Amino acid sequence: MATLRLDGLKKTYPNGFVALHGLDLEIADGELLVVVGPSGCGKSTLLRMLAGLEDITAGDLYIGEARVNPLEPADRDIAMVFQNYALYPHMSVAGNMEYALKNRGVPKEARRRKVEETASLIGLQDLLDRRPRQLSGGQRQRVAMGRAIVREPQVFLFDEPLSNLDAKLRVQMRLEIRRLQKRLGVTSVYVTHDQVEAMTLADRLIVMNEGRIEQLGSPMTLYDQPASTFVAGFIGSPAMNFLSAEASGRTLSLPCGNQLHAPVDAHGHVTLGIRPEHLVPVEESDDALAVQVELVEPLGADTLAYVQLDGQAEPLVVRFDGARRLEEGDRLWLAPDLERLHLFDPEQGQRLTTTEAITTP
Amino acid sequence: MATFQRHRLTPWILLAPQLAVIAVFFFWPAAQAIVQAFYIEDPFGLGHEFVWFENFARIFTSFEYLRALGVTALFSVSVAVGAMSLALLLAVQADRVIHGAHSYKTLLIWPYAVAPAVAGVLWMFMFDPNLGLLSAGLENLGIGWNHRVNGGQAMLLVILASIWKQMSYNFVFFLAGLQSIPKSLLEAAAIDGAGPWRRFWTVTFPLLSPTSFFLLVMNSVYVFFETFGTIDATTGGGPGGATRTLVYKVYEDGFEGYDLGSSAAQSVILLILVGLLTLLQFRYIERKVQY
Amino acid sequence: MRYRRRGLDITSHTLLILCVIVFFLPVWMAIVAATHTQSSLYTGVAPFWFGSEGFGNFLAVLSDPVGRLGTDATRLLVNSTIMALGIAVGKITIAILAAYAIVFFRFPFRMLCFWAIFITLMLPVEVRIMPTYKVVAGLGMLNSYTGLILPLIASATATFLFRQFYLTVPPELLEAARVDGAGPWRFLRDILLPLSKTNIAALFVIMFLYGWNQYLWPLLITTESDYMTVVISLKRMLTSADNLVPWHTVTATALLAMLPPVIVIVLMQRYFVKGLVDTEK
Repeated sequence: MATLRLDGLKKTYPNGFVALHGLDLEIADGELLVVVGPSGCGKSTLLRMLAGLEDITAGDLYIGEARVNPLEPADRDIAMVFQNYALYPHMSVAGNMEYALKNRGVPKEARRRKVEETASLIGLQDLLDRRPRQLSGGQRQRVAMGRAIVREPQVFLFDEPLSNLDAKLRVQMRLEIRRLQKRLGVTSVYVTHDQVEAMTLADRLIVMNEGRIEQLGSPMTLYDQPASTFVAGFIGSPAMNFLSAEASGRTLSLPCGNQLHAPVDAHGHVTLGIRPEHLVPVEESDDALAVQVELVEPLGADTLAYVQLDGQAEPLVVRFDGARRLEEGDRLWLAPDLERLHLFDPEQGQRLTTTEAITTP
Repeated sequence: MATFQRHRLTPWILLAPQLAVIAVFFFWPAAQAIVQAFYIEDPFGLGHEFVWFENFARIFTSFEYLRALGVTALFSVSVAVGAMSLALLLAVQADRVIHGAHSYKTLLIWPYAVAPAVAGVLWMFMFDPNLGLLSAGLENLGIGWNHRVNGGQAMLLVILASIWKQMSYNFVFFLAGLQSIPKSLLEAAAIDGAGPWRRFWTVTFPLLSPTSFFLLVMNSVYVFFETFGTIDATTGGGPGGATRTLVYKVYEDGFEGYDLGSSAAQSVILLILVGLLTLLQFRYIERKVQY
Repeated sequence: MRYRRRGLDITSHTLLILCVIVFFLPVWMAIVAATHTQSSLYTGVAPFWFGSEGFGNFLAVLSDPVGRLGTDATRLLVNSTIMALGIAVGKITIAILAAYAIVFFRFPFRMLCFWAIFITLMLPVEVRIMPTYKVVAGLGMLNSYTGLILPLIASATATFLFRQFYLTVPPELLEAARVDGAGPWRFLRDILLPLSKTNIAALFVIMFLYGWNQYLWPLLITTESDYMTVVISLKRMLTSADNLVPWHTVTATALLAMLPPVIVIVLMQRYFVKGLVDTEK
């Protein structure tokens, strides 16, 4: 087991495109770090650099105490689970699992023992003689996991391992990965574009955007205190609502005429962020936001409503209790949870925490 | 594409055999042919003289060469049209029938394995002036057959032998092409009110056009080069040059006439011709990739 | 979409069966002729039914020198087999390696190598016959198996097929293998070759036929009958006849010459069709 340290890790492609702008990061022993972001944000490049599948343009990568920049993937003592599993189609399950051991010169008997041990750990013991094409998607995923576990690596790397599974299986495998990772205690980096997967799996979470880390922290930190509109929009589903507002000290004026008490001092034009679950229906009053329901999406436990608020181009999303009956065209009054308002710089998108941050009139 | 990045020598070791073979047996001879085309060498190799384009000028003013060009053109068109239309007709039938498509494929594919020279010999036997089945049949119809004397008949013989051999190749491709046409397209056409005949000409045939074009080129290349065996074994280019194709003339001038400069210049012309054909094909295929 | 029309179906079957028969006719005539003596052949039009010789003519050409060839058909068949196998195995081997280098490695002049190899697709041996002959003569390879085989290996059809196939191999397989500690040679042996099995089979059929059916090249460089191939021998048998063509031995030899490739194509039809269609796509 080992820590993983990234020191100014940078990737520039031959065509000049900078995929990573110098990443500094330390991943603790046994930690599961999830990297999430939209496609093209550099998360896969990062993972492939950790694996040694992409060259590192600048900066240093340490696994444990060793600098591994010049090492081949096989010499880094890592294991990787690929998105499409990358199982060798002509080898049996056992063959797939023992291939790395074979290449390391592990004797046959020891290999067999290791494979059987791992197979029973993840419930593959009856499938060892099958070929990958005879397996279901979930079973293939398991084999890919088994292939990684059997080598007892210092680091697990997961490249969107669940994205090829159907929704139900994805939830099940997500739990299993979490359980296995905790049980084995192997330091892991997990790349995904699915924020639910990211929230549920992560010890710590990185949101990446355009080759940079937008925010690093525990899942709840990112949810409660998103560092930017990008993170705020990415974490949480449905996404946070953004409204434009004018701030003056602790007073926020909305275009619809309402005034709200701001969580921080600010002046001038700001972006106000409110999560769908932090808009609470109330009785008609002057302080409440008057909205009209445009569209209703009943999900069972919850009901989502898209509502129109004066002065806003985009409808707001509001999460209601599933028991509440709503119709299109209904007029409602909503009160935002004042403790959970988020203010952002309307230009740069950063979270506002002090008055100084605002300069726009 | 994922690659091995840190191995500098390995790719060269892997490429070495291929590069060595093409260097010695392809590029060196090809370069020689091009150089040779600008020289006139005396038949005993005692001396040679740089003559610019004289060899080419000689070729294009030579009646023999122009005749060979005409023979090749006639031969190509006949074989391409004959072998392709027959193949298309049969492939459509084989694609239609519910049972036996596979058996028909097996029963029609084997002539492809027969050497062009052997194909020529088999058909020569059918047309043997003394005991050939077909020549005897023609005799009964009042047509005297002797391809050793009659140039047109000699041509017909090599054309038939070549169609016989090449049909199977075209058949395989047409059948594959037909089977890859989505059935839903034809169903849509049927719903739109097109009958079988109309469906074939408005849906199937246009969708087969990339295959057809490809086969046209392949059949031409086949006639250009591989029919050498058919011609040499049956007619020897005769009678009187009636079946002498361009490649046959290269061979005759080089190995029997010892006119090395002319033979080389003819090779260069052929090279350009084939090059153009291939280029045309690549362009066409690239353009038709959307299909 | 098929119309279930009995009449149409019968027409199709009739047409197909008719063509199958017409295509087989020359072979049937040859088989029949090969069972006759020369004198029984030359009594009129070629016969439709077997003669008195049975396999006699075949056994004769296989064991005794044929006509003025100075060698028997066994020798010719052995030579053809060596040539066809040599070309098939040689081409496939160098193609596997060269395509591997081009697809799975990045190195200086890679594109130049690529084009150098693929330009050979355009120019068959027939075009550069004279200078190639000189090169082979200069290397002392006339009348040798290497002389028969090597120049015909110098084209890129097989390399092209393998390149096309390698490009369809998911890149993650290579990455997984690298993570699993496989270097280039191990990846080739453990992963790529096993995955190429059907392609190798397909190419083997195509190249075997190509090699077996060669005409011009062996005609030029085999002046000694010891290295002559069976396909070439036919012409000499036809022309060496004083007046009447010895059709009973010519047909027997022609049938022997077409038997191995026809067997190969019928047995390996599945691979052959796949290989053919893939090579040209």
